[in-house]
Amino acid sequence: MNDLLQPWEPSRGDRFDLAKAGHLLRRAGYGGSLSLRLDLVAAGVAAAVDRVAGPAPAAPLPPPERLQDVIAFGDIARVRAHRVWLALHGEPVLRTRMSHFWHGHFATSNQKLQDPRAMALQLATFDGAGLLRFDELLAAMCRDPALLRWLDNDGNKKGKPNENFARELFELFTLGRGHYSEADVREAARCFTGWHVRDGAFRFAANLHDDGEKELFGARGRFGGDDVIAAVVARRESAEFLADRWLRCFVHPEPERVEIDALAAVYERSQRSVYATLTTLLRSRLFFSPRARGAKVKSPADFVLGTVRALGAHAAPMELAAAMAALGEAWCEPPSVEGWHGERAWLSPASWLLRSNFVADLLAGRTGKLQPAPAALFARSKTPAEIANRAGVLLLDGALAKNDADHLAAVAAAHGADHAAAAVAVLHAAACLPDYQLA
Amino acid sequence: MTLDRRSFLQFAGAVPLWWGLRGGGALAPLGDDRTLLVLELAGGNDGLNTVIPVDDERYARLRPKLSVVRSGAHRLVDGTALHGALAKVHGLVTGGRATVLHGVGYPRPDRSHFRSRDIWHVADPAHVRVTAATTGWLGRAADTIARESAGVPAAAVGGLEVPLLLKSERTAVPSLRRVEDFQWLSATARGPVGSASPTRAVVAAGERAGGTGDDLRAFVAGTASRGVALADDLSAALARYRPKADYPGGQLGNDLRLAAQLVVSGFGTRLLHLSFGGFDTHARQLPTHAGLLAQLDAALAAFVADLDGHAAAERVVVLVHSEFGRRAAENASQGTDHGAAAPAFVLLGGARGGVLGPVPDLGTLDDGDPIATTDFRSVYRDLLTWLGIDAARVLGGEHVSAGLWGS
Repeated sequence: MNDLLQPWEPSRGDRFDLAKAGHLLRRAGYGGSLSLRLDLVAAGVAAAVDRVAGPAPAAPLPPPERLQDVIAFGDIARVRAHRVWLALHGEPVLRTRMSHFWHGHFATSNQKLQDPRAMALQLATFDGAGLLRFDELLAAMCRDPALLRWLDNDGNKKGKPNENFARELFELFTLGRGHYSEADVREAARCFTGWHVRDGAFRFAANLHDDGEKELFGARGRFGGDDVIAAVVARRESAEFLADRWLRCFVHPEPERVEIDALAAVYERSQRSVYATLTTLLRSRLFFSPRARGAKVKSPADFVLGTVRALGAHAAPMELAAAMAALGEAWCEPPSVEGWHGERAWLSPASWLLRSNFVADLLAGRTGKLQPAPAALFARSKTPAEIANRAGVLLLDGALAKNDADHLAAVAAAHGADHAAAAVAVLHAAACLPDYQLA
Repeated sequence: MTLDRRSFLQFAGAVPLWWGLRGGGALAPLGDDRTLLVLELAGGNDGLNTVIPVDDERYARLRPKLSVVRSGAHRLVDGTALHGALAKVHGLVTGGRATVLHGVGYPRPDRSHFRSRDIWHVADPAHVRVTAATTGWLGRAADTIARESAGVPAAAVGGLEVPLLLKSERTAVPSLRRVEDFQWLSATARGPVGSASPTRAVVAAGERAGGTGDDLRAFVAGTASRGVALADDLSAALARYRPKADYPGGQLGNDLRLAAQLVVSGFGTRLLHLSFGGFDTHARQLPTHAGLLAQLDAALAAFVADLDGHAAAERVVVLVHSEFGRRAAENASQGTDHGAAAPAFVLLGGARGGVLGPVPDLGTLDDGDPIATTDFRSVYRDLLTWLGIDAARVLGGEHVSAGLWGS
């Protein structure tokens, strides 16, 4: 294994501290309360990775709690709020994180489907199979009613193929542009003829399936959809494509060739296990290196949910989902089949303002009551300097520059004896620091 | 508008360049409040069912089901007709206030939404991969007109992501959704953060520190400072506007009203982009496509009426385009798949009006699609030149005129 992906081990000068625990929780989940971060520090890096990743899944996991209730409501806002609730409270955190990674990867939108049940079931499939072997997940997705309808495979039939599904399967899900030909797209579309949806469930319509000979990636045969899946996941380009996506999500927005090659090799050696690949990555020297830390712009979910989790608070999932949508990340409605673009595209002067305003509204109780109240976290912080440092620990793992600490103390001092107002104002100001936009 | 000394020098410096490029055309002297709005029909608008070759029998043969749109279509002079939902746009075309350009595209068309959109945004058909350093054509244009005065030279309307075409090297480009979003709210009091609040010093100090730090932190700190400045400036400027037309409900009407508000309030925003999605009509496209075009027609008509009411229409030009058209032949799902060249529309700005370019030749298809007869960069070239911007610099080379303002 390449050195980059060897397990990182702490040393005297480089401990598994609050900043590293915070980094692990921000990337593998949606951040964590101070008490959770302190627990992970005490447990050490190996146990911390085990805790965020949970045990290795051998078979699809059962659907999340309350799924049937959410489906019964039949309202996409409920589906979205349920996902927020899972991101705030679900364990292990990596499971939910990966479900939302796959949501961006397969990027199905309810704006076209108008079918909250199908959306909820697709997301539950990610919860269940998102950490299994990638070919198992892909086989499930190629039978997923929401995805089949999203990409018009319902109209893909013998003699009149619709290429949309096959094209996006190659371009966006497995290979990336340049690693397949237009002829491969046409032939793969024939392989998926008859993969339809009836009564909300997958149905293989044999009479609409083209079972003639096809030529795919240079091989000939009377291929069907499962042959396409087997052929595509076996291609080296597919391993590299996924490795690149995971590195972008978990490590750095611009992965280097050597990193992609190393992670692709881990993935291939693990028989394409998503769990094995990601736990290797999350434990690695690369993951804890300065190159990775603070290298990403927080997504709206990272920012909104991370703020609530950092404060150890409860807040209304519906309100939080609405805030995320206003910031450009409406789950169940990705902007296109490409998902969300992320990174610097998340942040413009306007969206920075909206982020700041979200925190102001949250702390002021204007987005519903925050429990516990923010000031309760400052019971033992009396002076302006103590309040400033406490906010730095809560929101930034204590990594506060002297200059920033002084400015935050000035914010606290401006509120005089009003301790609660000082706490709220300092938390808001700390969330306006550049570092708070970074994950 | 008033100019401080520095921006006057930049402005004056642009004049000879502009006259050189114009070749001494008969336009009014350059004003620096000319504005371009790019309206992108996202998903791949079906060009052949938008500007319909009604007199070409091959069209009906390629599209046995979808060619029903010939009935109710509005005829143009060259044997084509606009979709029935585009009545008001048709009036603008026949009235000489809008131009239909046939067959706009680029060589060796790419049928991926993203790659084709990126090609249009970067203005380079050979463009390979987007990185942090990639800039868009409007972003590069913004860099040539950016001034240090309070204005925002370019903005994305309606979304929160800044699209690739507005990515620039040096100019902060905000994305705007609603005017009300642009107060910087306090956590401890109702209303905005006060002008003397110490929280302002936190943001300002962040930018000073970020200036010496790594790229990403500097980017975030600069964005934060501009966010605060945006809130302070924009809320004041936008309060001056009152709409003079009834915009239709829905996102597109809202976005175009905000665009008009930016234009009319004299905020100095000269390059605007907005996206109107849903055109990826692979299946049962007739009602979907008609509905989208009807929204487009109503919203554009309101936008024109509003600008007319503010006597601003002749200093604004609108480009309406899509990343590609759709296959000439319909598919089996009563829809159409990803195609290539397609018509574009240019409204207002004193452009020539009417129809420009040859009617698509359905007898000579390239891999099932009409062949582009006008390179999209020729369209960009005319628009940039009209704005008084060095088109060759923005586009990285010379391109022939598309003839939008005469030859």
